[in-house]
Amino acid sequence: MKTAEKTGVVLAEKKVDQKKMRAKVKRVLLFLSIIAIILLILIPIYLLFKISVSAPQDILTQHPPFLIKNFTWKHWLKILSAGQIWNPLWKSVIVASMVALLGIIIAAPGAYVISRLPKKIKYGVLLAIFSTRMFPEVGIALPISVTFIKWGLLDTNLGLVLAHLIRVLPLMAWVLTGTFDTIPRDLEQSAVVDGCNKIQALVKVVLPLSLAGLAAGAILSWLESWNEFTYAIYLCLADTTLPIKTYYYISRGNWFESAAYAVFLTFPVMIITFVLQNYLKSDYLSGALKY
Amino acid sequence: MILPLILFILGFTLLPVLQCIFYSFQDRITEEFPTLANYRLIVGNPKFGDALKNTLIVTAIGLTLEMGGGLLIALLLTVSSKIKGLFRTITMIPMGVPTIVSGVIMLYIFSSNGYFNEFLYRIGVIKLPIDWAQGGIRTLLMVAVADMWKVTPLVVILLLSGLESIPANIYEASAMDGASPYQHFFFITLPLIKPFFTIALILRAIDAFRIFELPMVLAGRNTMFLGTYAYSEYFDYNNIHSSGAASTILLILIAIFVFSYVVTVGAKEGDE
Repeated sequence: MKTAEKTGVVLAEKKVDQKKMRAKVKRVLLFLSIIAIILLILIPIYLLFKISVSAPQDILTQHPPFLIKNFTWKHWLKILSAGQIWNPLWKSVIVASMVALLGIIIAAPGAYVISRLPKKIKYGVLLAIFSTRMFPEVGIALPISVTFIKWGLLDTNLGLVLAHLIRVLPLMAWVLTGTFDTIPRDLEQSAVVDGCNKIQALVKVVLPLSLAGLAAGAILSWLESWNEFTYAIYLCLADTTLPIKTYYYISRGNWFESAAYAVFLTFPVMIITFVLQNYLKSDYLSGALKY
Repeated sequence: MILPLILFILGFTLLPVLQCIFYSFQDRITEEFPTLANYRLIVGNPKFGDALKNTLIVTAIGLTLEMGGGLLIALLLTVSSKIKGLFRTITMIPMGVPTIVSGVIMLYIFSSNGYFNEFLYRIGVIKLPIDWAQGGIRTLLMVAVADMWKVTPLVVILLLSGLESIPANIYEASAMDGASPYQHFFFITLPLIKPFFTIALILRAIDAFRIFELPMVLAGRNTMFLGTYAYSEYFDYNNIHSSGAASTILLILIAIFVFSYVVTVGAKEGDE
Protein backbone atom coordinates (compact mmCIF):
# COMPACT_ATOMS: atom_id res chain seq x y z
CA MET A 1 0.00 0.00 0.00
CA LYS A 2 2.60 2.44 1.14
CA THR A 3 4.86 1.87 -1.83
CA ALA A 4 1.95 2.33 -4.20
CA GLU A 5 1.11 5.62 -2.54
CA LYS A 6 4.73 6.66 -2.78
CA THR A 7 5.00 5.92 -6.49
CA GLY A 8 1.80 7.86 -6.99
CA VAL A 9 3.30 10.87 -5.24
CA VAL A 10 6.52 10.54 -7.21
CA LEU A 11 4.58 10.32 -10.48
CA ALA A 12 2.60 13.41 -9.61
CA GLU A 13 5.80 15.24 -8.71
CA LYS A 14 7.29 14.16 -12.02
CA LYS A 15 4.30 15.54 -13.87
CA VAL A 16 4.64 18.87 -12.07
CA ASP A 17 8.34 18.88 -12.82
CA GLN A 18 7.66 18.21 -16.49
CA LYS A 19 5.18 21.05 -16.61
CA LYS A 20 7.68 23.36 -14.94
CA MET A 21 10.39 22.25 -17.34
CA ARG A 22 8.17 22.90 -20.32
CA ALA A 23 7.30 26.37 -19.06
CA LYS A 24 11.00 27.05 -18.50
CA VAL A 25 11.96 25.90 -22.00
CA LYS A 26 9.19 28.02 -23.42
CA ARG A 27 10.41 31.06 -21.53
CA VAL A 28 14.01 30.54 -22.67
CA LEU A 29 12.92 30.14 -26.29
CA LEU A 30 10.83 33.27 -26.05
CA PHE A 31 13.69 35.19 -24.51
CA LEU A 32 16.10 33.99 -27.22
CA SER A 33 13.76 34.93 -30.05
CA ILE A 34 13.24 38.41 -28.61
CA ILE A 35 17.02 38.84 -28.32
CA ALA A 36 17.35 37.70 -31.93
CA ILE A 37 14.79 40.27 -33.08
CA ILE A 38 16.53 43.05 -31.19
CA LEU A 39 19.88 42.04 -32.69
CA LEU A 40 18.39 42.01 -36.18
CA ILE A 41 17.24 45.59 -35.59
CA LEU A 42 20.54 46.81 -34.16
CA ILE A 43 23.19 45.01 -36.21
CA PRO A 44 22.59 46.98 -39.44
CA ILE A 45 23.08 50.26 -37.55
CA TYR A 46 26.28 48.91 -36.05
CA LEU A 47 27.53 47.86 -39.50
CA LEU A 48 26.93 51.35 -40.88
CA PHE A 49 28.91 52.92 -38.08
CA LYS A 50 31.60 50.28 -38.41
CA ILE A 51 32.14 50.97 -42.09
CA SER A 52 32.39 54.70 -41.47
CA VAL A 53 35.27 54.12 -39.00
CA SER A 54 37.05 51.15 -40.59
CA ALA A 55 40.25 51.20 -42.59
CA PRO A 56 39.71 50.15 -46.23
CA GLN A 57 41.44 46.79 -45.83
CA ASP A 58 38.66 45.72 -43.44
CA ILE A 59 35.89 46.45 -45.89
CA LEU A 60 37.11 46.06 -49.44
CA THR A 61 37.85 42.38 -49.09
CA GLN A 62 36.13 39.16 -50.05
CA HIS A 63 35.56 38.24 -46.40
CA PRO A 64 34.96 41.34 -44.29
CA PRO A 65 35.30 40.82 -40.51
CA PHE A 66 32.25 41.56 -38.35
CA LEU A 67 34.24 43.39 -35.67
CA ILE A 68 36.11 46.66 -36.00
CA LYS A 69 39.72 45.63 -36.58
CA ASN A 70 41.50 48.73 -37.83
CA PHE A 71 39.78 51.74 -36.37
CA THR A 72 40.17 55.11 -38.06
CA TRP A 73 38.50 58.53 -38.08
CA LYS A 74 39.99 59.14 -41.52
CA HIS A 75 36.72 59.07 -43.49
CA TRP A 76 35.00 61.42 -41.07
CA LEU A 77 37.87 63.90 -41.10
CA LYS A 78 38.01 63.66 -44.86
CA ILE A 79 34.40 64.66 -45.46
CA LEU A 80 34.59 67.38 -42.82
CA SER A 81 37.78 68.88 -44.22
CA ALA A 82 36.74 68.51 -47.86
CA GLY A 83 33.98 71.02 -47.10
CA GLN A 84 31.48 69.43 -49.51
CA ILE A 85 29.18 68.68 -46.61
CA TRP A 86 28.52 72.19 -45.30
CA ASN A 87 26.28 73.55 -48.04
CA PRO A 88 23.94 70.52 -48.13
CA LEU A 89 23.92 70.36 -44.33
CA TRP A 90 23.01 74.03 -44.07
CA LYS A 91 20.34 73.69 -46.75
CA SER A 92 18.81 70.67 -45.01
CA VAL A 93 18.70 72.50 -41.68
CA ILE A 94 17.15 75.66 -43.13
CA VAL A 95 14.57 73.82 -45.21
CA ALA A 96 13.57 71.50 -42.37
CA SER A 97 13.22 74.40 -39.92
CA MET A 98 11.16 76.45 -42.37
CA VAL A 99 8.95 73.42 -43.05
CA ALA A 100 8.36 72.96 -39.32
CA LEU A 101 7.54 76.62 -38.78
CA LEU A 102 5.32 77.10 -41.84
CA GLY A 103 3.71 73.74 -41.18
CA ILE A 104 2.60 74.88 -37.74
CA ILE A 105 1.40 78.24 -39.03
CA ILE A 106 -0.72 76.66 -41.77
CA ALA A 107 -1.84 73.44 -40.08
CA ALA A 108 -2.54 74.56 -36.51
CA PRO A 109 -5.51 76.88 -37.24
CA GLY A 110 -6.90 74.30 -39.67
CA ALA A 111 -6.52 71.50 -37.15
CA TYR A 112 -8.24 73.62 -34.50
CA VAL A 113 -11.23 74.12 -36.76
CA ILE A 114 -11.34 70.43 -37.64
CA SER A 115 -11.21 69.38 -34.00
CA ARG A 116 -14.25 71.57 -33.23
CA LEU A 117 -16.33 70.05 -36.04
CA PRO A 118 -19.09 67.51 -35.25
CA LYS A 119 -17.58 64.05 -34.88
CA LYS A 120 -18.81 62.50 -38.10
CA ILE A 121 -17.72 65.36 -40.34
CA LYS A 122 -14.44 65.60 -38.49
CA TYR A 123 -13.47 62.03 -39.28
CA GLY A 124 -14.38 62.50 -42.93
CA VAL A 125 -12.37 65.71 -43.28
CA LEU A 126 -9.34 64.20 -41.56
CA LEU A 127 -9.50 61.10 -43.69
CA ALA A 128 -9.82 63.18 -46.87
CA ILE A 129 -6.79 65.26 -45.90
CA PHE A 130 -4.74 62.28 -44.86
CA SER A 131 -5.61 60.26 -47.93
CA THR A 132 -3.71 62.78 -50.05
CA ARG A 133 -0.65 61.03 -48.72
CA MET A 134 -1.60 58.00 -50.77
CA PHE A 135 -0.89 59.75 -54.08
CA PRO A 136 2.38 58.60 -55.64
CA GLU A 137 5.03 61.20 -54.97
CA VAL A 138 6.62 60.77 -58.37
CA GLY A 139 3.27 61.81 -59.81
CA ILE A 140 3.09 64.98 -57.71
CA ALA A 141 6.76 65.85 -58.03
CA LEU A 142 6.63 65.77 -61.83
CA PRO A 143 4.15 68.63 -62.42
CA ILE A 144 5.56 70.52 -59.43
CA SER A 145 9.01 70.35 -60.96
CA VAL A 146 7.68 71.50 -64.37
CA THR A 147 5.82 74.40 -62.71
CA PHE A 148 8.79 75.37 -60.54
CA ILE A 149 11.04 75.56 -63.60
CA LYS A 150 8.62 78.17 -64.97
CA TRP A 151 8.46 80.03 -61.65
CA GLY A 152 12.23 79.93 -61.14
CA LEU A 153 11.83 77.95 -57.92
CA LEU A 154 14.04 75.04 -58.94
CA ASP A 155 17.09 74.68 -56.73
CA THR A 156 15.74 77.22 -54.23
CA ASN A 157 14.98 76.70 -50.56
CA LEU A 158 11.46 78.10 -50.96
CA GLY A 159 10.62 75.60 -53.69
CA LEU A 160 11.75 72.65 -51.62
CA VAL A 161 9.93 73.95 -48.52
CA LEU A 162 6.67 74.15 -50.50
CA ALA A 163 7.20 70.61 -51.80
CA HIS A 164 7.95 69.21 -48.36
CA LEU A 165 4.83 70.85 -46.98
CA ILE A 166 2.84 68.60 -49.33
CA ARG A 167 3.99 65.63 -47.27
CA VAL A 168 4.03 67.35 -43.92
CA LEU A 169 0.70 69.20 -43.75
CA PRO A 170 -1.61 66.15 -43.76
CA LEU A 171 0.50 64.52 -41.03
CA MET A 172 0.55 67.75 -39.06
CA ALA A 173 -3.22 68.24 -39.38
CA TRP A 174 -3.69 64.69 -38.10
CA VAL A 175 -1.42 65.09 -35.07
CA LEU A 176 -2.64 68.56 -34.15
CA THR A 177 -6.31 67.65 -34.40
CA GLY A 178 -5.58 64.98 -31.82
CA THR A 179 -3.93 67.62 -29.64
CA PHE A 180 -6.81 70.08 -29.83
CA ASP A 181 -9.27 67.26 -29.15
CA THR A 182 -7.75 66.87 -25.70
CA ILE A 183 -8.55 70.48 -24.78
CA PRO A 184 -12.15 70.65 -23.60
CA ARG A 185 -14.41 73.20 -25.21
CA ASP A 186 -15.76 74.19 -21.80
CA LEU A 187 -12.43 75.77 -20.95
CA GLU A 188 -12.70 78.24 -23.81
CA GLN A 189 -16.34 78.91 -23.06
CA SER A 190 -15.66 79.66 -19.43
CA ALA A 191 -12.86 82.00 -20.52
CA VAL A 192 -15.37 83.79 -22.71
CA VAL A 193 -17.83 83.94 -19.80
CA ASP A 194 -15.06 85.45 -17.71
CA GLY A 195 -14.74 88.27 -20.21
CA CYS A 196 -12.21 87.11 -22.82
CA ASN A 197 -13.08 87.62 -26.44
CA LYS A 198 -12.70 84.59 -28.73
CA ILE A 199 -9.19 85.46 -29.88
CA GLN A 200 -8.03 86.00 -26.31
CA ALA A 201 -9.53 82.68 -25.31
CA LEU A 202 -7.55 81.02 -28.09
CA VAL A 203 -4.27 82.72 -27.31
CA LYS A 204 -4.49 82.62 -23.53
CA VAL A 205 -6.20 79.29 -22.94
CA VAL A 206 -5.93 76.96 -25.93
CA LEU A 207 -2.44 77.89 -27.11
CA PRO A 208 -0.57 77.28 -23.83
CA LEU A 209 -2.35 73.95 -23.38
CA SER A 210 -1.47 72.77 -26.88
CA LEU A 211 2.21 73.71 -26.76
CA ALA A 212 3.39 70.12 -26.21
CA GLY A 213 1.36 68.89 -29.17
CA LEU A 214 2.55 71.76 -31.37
CA ALA A 215 6.15 70.97 -30.45
CA ALA A 216 5.64 67.31 -31.27
CA GLY A 217 4.09 68.24 -34.61
CA ALA A 218 6.94 70.64 -35.40
CA ILE A 219 9.54 68.00 -34.58
CA LEU A 220 7.83 65.33 -36.65
CA SER A 221 7.71 67.76 -39.57
CA TRP A 222 11.33 68.69 -39.12
CA LEU A 223 12.34 65.04 -39.25
CA GLU A 224 10.09 64.33 -42.21
CA SER A 225 11.73 67.14 -44.17
CA TRP A 226 15.23 66.19 -43.03
CA ASN A 227 14.73 62.61 -44.29
CA GLU A 228 12.87 63.49 -47.48
CA PHE A 229 14.33 62.19 -50.73
CA THR A 230 11.86 62.06 -53.63
CA TYR A 231 10.88 65.74 -53.91
CA ALA A 232 14.46 66.76 -53.23
CA ILE A 233 15.81 64.70 -56.10
CA TYR A 234 13.21 66.18 -58.46
CA LEU A 235 13.75 69.77 -57.33
CA CYS A 236 17.46 70.05 -56.52
CA LEU A 237 20.03 70.04 -59.27
CA ALA A 238 23.16 71.88 -58.11
CA ASP A 239 22.19 73.00 -54.63
CA THR A 240 21.28 69.74 -52.91
CA THR A 241 20.19 68.56 -49.47
CA LEU A 242 22.08 66.07 -47.36
CA PRO A 243 20.11 62.95 -48.45
CA ILE A 244 20.74 63.78 -52.11
CA LYS A 245 24.43 64.36 -51.46
CA THR A 246 24.55 60.96 -49.76
CA TYR A 247 22.86 59.41 -52.79
CA TYR A 248 25.46 61.07 -55.00
CA TYR A 249 28.26 59.30 -53.15
CA ILE A 250 26.38 56.01 -53.24
CA SER A 251 25.92 56.19 -56.98
CA ARG A 252 29.63 56.89 -57.36
CA GLY A 253 30.24 53.67 -55.46
CA ASN A 254 32.15 55.36 -52.67
CA TRP A 255 31.48 53.23 -49.60
CA PHE A 256 33.33 55.19 -46.97
CA GLU A 257 32.09 58.65 -47.84
CA SER A 258 28.52 57.47 -48.22
CA ALA A 259 28.77 55.68 -44.86
CA ALA A 260 30.13 58.77 -43.14
CA TYR A 261 27.45 60.94 -44.78
CA ALA A 262 24.79 58.46 -43.75
CA VAL A 263 25.99 58.57 -40.14
CA PHE A 264 25.86 62.36 -40.23
CA LEU A 265 22.37 62.24 -41.64
CA THR A 266 21.26 59.84 -38.91
CA PHE A 267 22.80 61.67 -35.94
CA PRO A 268 20.24 64.45 -35.46
CA VAL A 269 17.43 61.97 -35.98
CA MET A 270 18.73 59.72 -33.22
CA ILE A 271 19.29 62.57 -30.81
CA ILE A 272 15.87 64.07 -31.42
CA THR A 273 13.99 60.79 -31.22
CA PHE A 274 15.66 59.70 -28.01
CA VAL A 275 15.53 63.02 -26.21
CA LEU A 276 11.92 63.66 -27.14
CA GLN A 277 10.70 60.09 -27.10
CA ASN A 278 7.79 60.92 -24.85
CA TYR A 279 6.39 63.42 -27.30
CA LEU A 280 6.89 61.26 -30.34
CA LYS A 281 5.10 58.24 -28.94
CA SER A 282 3.53 56.04 -31.51
CA ASP A 283 0.16 56.90 -30.00
CA TYR A 284 -0.12 59.63 -32.59
CA LEU A 285 -0.15 56.99 -35.28
CA SER A 286 -2.93 54.98 -33.75
CA GLY A 287 -4.77 58.08 -32.54
CA ALA A 288 -7.14 57.85 -35.46
CA LEU A 289 -8.51 54.59 -34.15
CA LYS A 290 -9.87 56.22 -31.05
CA TYR A 291 -12.65 58.04 -32.86
CA MET B 1 -8.89 79.55 -40.36
CA ILE B 2 -8.91 76.24 -42.15
CA LEU B 3 -8.68 78.00 -45.52
CA PRO B 4 -4.85 78.14 -45.89
CA LEU B 5 -4.64 74.41 -45.23
CA ILE B 6 -7.37 73.55 -47.72
CA LEU B 7 -6.00 75.94 -50.35
CA PHE B 8 -2.52 74.51 -50.02
CA ILE B 9 -3.75 70.95 -50.42
CA LEU B 10 -5.89 71.92 -53.41
CA GLY B 11 -3.11 73.88 -55.11
CA PHE B 12 -0.09 71.77 -54.29
CA THR B 13 -1.49 68.26 -54.10
CA LEU B 14 -4.75 67.84 -55.99
CA LEU B 15 -3.87 70.20 -58.84
CA PRO B 16 -0.50 68.50 -59.49
CA VAL B 17 -2.14 65.07 -59.46
CA LEU B 18 -4.66 66.27 -62.06
CA GLN B 19 -1.86 67.86 -64.07
CA CYS B 20 0.04 64.60 -63.96
CA ILE B 21 -3.00 62.72 -65.30
CA PHE B 22 -3.41 65.46 -67.93
CA TYR B 23 0.21 65.08 -69.12
CA SER B 24 -0.30 61.36 -69.45
CA PHE B 25 -3.12 61.88 -71.96
CA GLN B 26 -1.37 64.65 -73.90
CA ASP B 27 0.63 64.00 -77.04
CA ARG B 28 4.32 64.68 -76.62
CA ILE B 29 4.84 66.52 -79.89
CA THR B 30 1.48 67.90 -81.05
CA GLU B 31 0.23 68.53 -77.47
CA GLU B 32 -3.08 67.09 -78.63
CA PHE B 33 -5.43 66.01 -75.84
CA PRO B 34 -6.66 63.38 -75.16
CA THR B 35 -4.55 60.64 -76.67
CA LEU B 36 -3.44 57.21 -75.57
CA ALA B 37 -0.09 57.51 -77.37
CA ASN B 38 1.91 57.69 -74.12
CA TYR B 39 0.25 54.61 -72.69
CA ARG B 40 0.87 52.75 -75.95
CA LEU B 41 4.48 53.87 -75.80
CA ILE B 42 5.19 52.64 -72.29
CA VAL B 43 3.17 49.44 -72.58
CA GLY B 44 5.27 48.64 -75.65
CA ASN B 45 8.43 49.17 -73.61
CA PRO B 46 9.59 45.92 -71.97
CA LYS B 47 11.20 47.96 -69.19
CA PHE B 48 7.77 49.16 -68.14
CA GLY B 49 6.40 45.63 -68.08
CA ASP B 50 9.28 44.61 -65.84
CA ALA B 51 8.77 47.63 -63.59
CA LEU B 52 5.07 46.81 -63.18
CA LYS B 53 5.81 43.14 -62.48
CA ASN B 54 8.61 44.00 -60.03
CA THR B 55 6.39 46.45 -58.17
CA LEU B 56 3.60 43.90 -57.78
CA ILE B 57 5.96 41.11 -56.69
CA VAL B 58 7.83 43.26 -54.18
CA THR B 59 4.55 44.51 -52.75
CA ALA B 60 3.26 40.93 -52.38
CA ILE B 61 6.48 39.61 -50.81
CA GLY B 62 6.98 42.68 -48.66
CA LEU B 63 3.44 42.75 -47.30
CA THR B 64 3.47 39.04 -46.51
CA LEU B 65 6.80 39.27 -44.69
CA GLU B 66 6.00 42.49 -42.87
CA MET B 67 2.47 41.65 -41.77
CA GLY B 68 3.32 38.05 -40.87
CA GLY B 69 6.55 38.97 -39.12
CA GLY B 70 4.94 41.98 -37.49
CA LEU B 71 2.08 39.91 -36.08
CA LEU B 72 4.46 37.25 -34.80
CA ILE B 73 6.71 39.79 -33.06
CA ALA B 74 3.71 41.64 -31.60
CA LEU B 75 2.38 38.38 -30.14
CA LEU B 76 5.79 37.52 -28.69
CA LEU B 77 6.01 40.92 -27.05
CA THR B 78 2.66 40.73 -25.27
CA VAL B 79 4.26 38.35 -22.78
CA SER B 80 6.01 40.98 -20.69
CA SER B 81 5.49 44.70 -20.41
CA LYS B 82 9.15 45.35 -19.64
CA ILE B 83 10.23 43.81 -22.94
CA LYS B 84 7.51 45.76 -24.69
CA GLY B 85 8.90 49.02 -23.34
CA LEU B 86 12.43 48.10 -24.38
CA PHE B 87 11.24 47.09 -27.82
CA ARG B 88 9.34 50.36 -28.26
CA THR B 89 12.54 52.28 -27.54
CA ILE B 90 14.63 50.17 -29.89
CA THR B 91 12.15 50.37 -32.75
CA MET B 92 12.53 54.13 -32.74
CA ILE B 93 15.85 53.47 -34.45
CA PRO B 94 14.81 51.89 -37.76
CA MET B 95 11.69 54.06 -37.85
CA GLY B 96 13.75 57.22 -37.44
CA VAL B 97 16.58 56.29 -39.78
CA PRO B 98 16.15 58.11 -43.10
CA THR B 99 15.11 55.70 -45.86
CA ILE B 100 18.16 56.65 -47.89
CA VAL B 101 20.36 55.63 -44.96
CA SER B 102 18.62 52.29 -44.63
CA GLY B 103 19.37 51.92 -48.34
CA VAL B 104 23.06 52.60 -47.73
CA ILE B 105 23.13 50.04 -44.93
CA MET B 106 21.40 47.38 -46.98
CA LEU B 107 23.79 48.08 -49.83
CA TYR B 108 26.68 47.08 -47.56
CA ILE B 109 24.86 44.05 -46.24
CA PHE B 110 23.76 42.68 -49.60
CA SER B 111 26.69 43.63 -51.84
CA SER B 112 28.58 40.62 -53.19
CA ASN B 113 31.36 41.11 -50.62
CA GLY B 114 28.83 42.20 -48.03
CA TYR B 115 27.93 40.94 -44.60
CA PHE B 116 25.01 38.73 -45.51
CA ASN B 117 27.15 36.73 -47.93
CA GLU B 118 29.89 36.60 -45.32
CA PHE B 119 27.40 35.32 -42.75
CA LEU B 120 26.15 32.63 -45.12
CA TYR B 121 29.76 31.72 -45.93
CA ARG B 122 30.75 31.38 -42.27
CA ILE B 123 27.83 29.15 -41.38
CA GLY B 124 28.70 27.09 -44.43
CA VAL B 125 25.63 27.62 -46.60
CA ILE B 126 27.49 29.07 -49.59
CA LYS B 127 31.01 28.80 -50.94
CA LEU B 128 30.95 31.56 -53.54
CA PRO B 129 29.39 34.99 -52.97
CA ILE B 130 25.90 35.60 -54.36
CA ASP B 131 25.32 38.70 -56.46
CA TRP B 132 22.02 39.91 -54.99
CA ALA B 133 21.71 42.93 -57.27
CA GLN B 134 22.01 41.06 -60.55
CA GLY B 135 18.23 41.10 -61.12
CA GLY B 136 15.37 38.64 -61.00
CA ILE B 137 13.72 37.31 -57.87
CA ARG B 138 16.92 37.61 -55.81
CA THR B 139 16.99 41.36 -56.21
CA LEU B 140 13.29 41.61 -55.45
CA LEU B 141 13.79 39.57 -52.29
CA MET B 142 16.67 41.84 -51.31
CA VAL B 143 14.58 44.97 -51.78
CA ALA B 144 11.67 43.45 -49.83
CA VAL B 145 13.91 42.41 -46.92
CA ALA B 146 15.64 45.81 -46.92
CA ASP B 147 12.24 47.49 -46.73
CA MET B 148 11.14 45.07 -44.03
CA TRP B 149 13.94 46.15 -41.70
CA LYS B 150 12.75 49.73 -41.68
CA VAL B 151 8.99 49.32 -41.59
CA THR B 152 8.15 46.15 -39.66
CA PRO B 153 8.55 48.02 -36.33
CA LEU B 154 5.71 50.33 -37.35
CA VAL B 155 3.51 47.31 -38.11
CA VAL B 156 4.46 45.77 -34.74
CA ILE B 157 3.57 48.93 -32.85
CA LEU B 158 0.22 49.31 -34.59
CA LEU B 159 -0.62 45.65 -33.94
CA LEU B 160 0.58 45.88 -30.34
CA SER B 161 -1.82 48.71 -29.64
CA GLY B 162 -4.49 46.43 -31.10
CA LEU B 163 -3.50 43.53 -28.87
CA GLU B 164 -3.46 45.81 -25.83
CA SER B 165 -7.00 46.88 -26.56
CA ILE B 166 -8.26 43.32 -26.02
CA PRO B 167 -9.48 43.00 -22.42
CA ALA B 168 -7.82 40.13 -20.54
CA ASN B 169 -11.10 38.80 -19.15
CA ILE B 170 -12.19 37.66 -22.62
CA TYR B 171 -9.29 35.21 -22.60
CA GLU B 172 -10.08 34.15 -19.05
CA ALA B 173 -13.69 33.49 -19.94
CA SER B 174 -12.84 31.46 -23.01
CA ALA B 175 -10.13 29.53 -21.13
CA MET B 176 -12.77 28.55 -18.60
CA ASP B 177 -14.92 27.28 -21.43
CA GLY B 178 -11.96 25.14 -22.49
CA ALA B 179 -10.70 27.00 -25.55
CA SER B 180 -7.28 25.96 -26.86
CA PRO B 181 -4.51 28.49 -27.59
CA TYR B 182 -5.19 27.84 -31.26
CA GLN B 183 -8.85 28.75 -30.80
CA HIS B 184 -7.82 31.81 -28.78
CA PHE B 185 -5.75 33.05 -31.65
CA PHE B 186 -8.18 32.47 -34.49
CA PHE B 187 -11.47 33.25 -32.78
CA ILE B 188 -10.51 36.03 -30.36
CA THR B 189 -7.19 37.68 -31.17
CA LEU B 190 -7.46 37.87 -34.94
CA PRO B 191 -11.02 39.23 -35.19
CA LEU B 192 -10.40 41.79 -32.45
CA ILE B 193 -7.21 43.24 -33.91
CA LYS B 194 -8.66 43.33 -37.42
CA PRO B 195 -9.14 47.12 -37.56
CA PHE B 196 -5.51 47.64 -36.51
CA PHE B 197 -4.37 45.03 -39.00
CA THR B 198 -6.33 46.77 -41.75
CA ILE B 199 -4.82 50.16 -41.02
CA ALA B 200 -1.30 48.73 -40.89
CA LEU B 201 -1.84 46.77 -44.09
CA ILE B 202 -3.22 49.73 -46.03
CA LEU B 203 -0.49 52.11 -44.84
CA ARG B 204 2.15 49.55 -45.75
CA ALA B 205 0.63 48.65 -49.12
CA ILE B 206 0.53 52.29 -50.21
CA ASP B 207 4.20 52.74 -49.37
CA ALA B 208 5.16 49.41 -50.91
CA PHE B 209 3.58 50.32 -54.26
CA ARG B 210 5.37 53.69 -54.21
CA ILE B 211 8.75 52.22 -53.27
CA PHE B 212 11.41 54.61 -54.59
CA GLU B 213 14.52 55.27 -52.52
CA LEU B 214 15.49 51.66 -51.87
CA PRO B 215 15.40 50.63 -55.55
CA MET B 216 17.28 53.82 -56.45
CA VAL B 217 20.07 52.79 -54.11
CA LEU B 218 19.97 49.00 -54.23
CA ALA B 219 18.72 47.93 -57.63
CA GLY B 220 20.23 50.64 -59.81
CA ARG B 221 18.99 50.88 -63.35
CA ASN B 222 18.77 47.14 -63.89
CA THR B 223 15.73 46.38 -61.82
CA MET B 224 13.13 49.10 -62.23
CA PHE B 225 9.96 49.69 -60.24
CA LEU B 226 7.05 51.95 -61.22
CA GLY B 227 8.41 54.84 -59.14
CA THR B 228 11.93 54.62 -60.49
CA TYR B 229 10.60 54.05 -64.00
CA ALA B 230 8.60 57.29 -63.83
CA TYR B 231 11.70 59.07 -62.54
CA SER B 232 13.87 57.65 -65.29
CA GLU B 233 11.41 58.62 -68.05
CA TYR B 234 11.59 62.23 -66.83
CA PHE B 235 15.28 62.54 -66.02
CA ASP B 236 16.88 60.23 -68.58
CA TYR B 237 14.51 60.78 -71.51
CA ASN B 238 13.03 64.15 -70.55
CA ASN B 239 9.55 62.82 -71.31
CA ILE B 240 6.98 64.25 -68.91
CA HIS B 241 4.15 62.51 -70.73
CA SER B 242 5.37 58.91 -70.38
CA SER B 243 6.51 59.67 -66.83
CA GLY B 244 3.03 60.99 -66.10
CA ALA B 245 1.48 57.88 -67.63
CA ALA B 246 3.57 55.60 -65.39
CA SER B 247 2.62 57.66 -62.33
CA THR B 248 -1.04 57.54 -63.30
CA ILE B 249 -0.90 53.75 -63.56
CA LEU B 250 0.74 53.66 -60.13
CA LEU B 251 -2.02 55.87 -58.74
CA ILE B 252 -4.68 53.58 -60.23
CA LEU B 253 -2.99 50.50 -58.74
CA ILE B 254 -2.96 52.04 -55.26
CA ALA B 255 -6.56 53.21 -55.58
CA ILE B 256 -7.73 49.76 -56.73
CA PHE B 257 -5.92 48.06 -53.86
CA VAL B 258 -7.19 50.37 -51.14
CA PHE B 259 -10.70 50.45 -52.55
CA SER B 260 -11.06 46.70 -53.04
CA TYR B 261 -9.57 45.97 -49.62
CA VAL B 262 -11.88 48.40 -47.86
CA VAL B 263 -14.88 47.07 -49.78
CA THR B 264 -14.19 43.38 -49.10
CA VAL B 265 -13.26 43.86 -45.45
CA GLY B 266 -16.10 46.33 -44.94
CA ALA B 267 -18.58 43.94 -46.60
CA LYS B 268 -17.46 41.07 -44.36
CA GLU B 269 -17.89 43.22 -41.31
CA GLY B 270 -21.42 44.02 -42.45
CA ASP B 271 -22.23 40.30 -42.56
CA GLU B 272 -21.12 39.59 -39.06
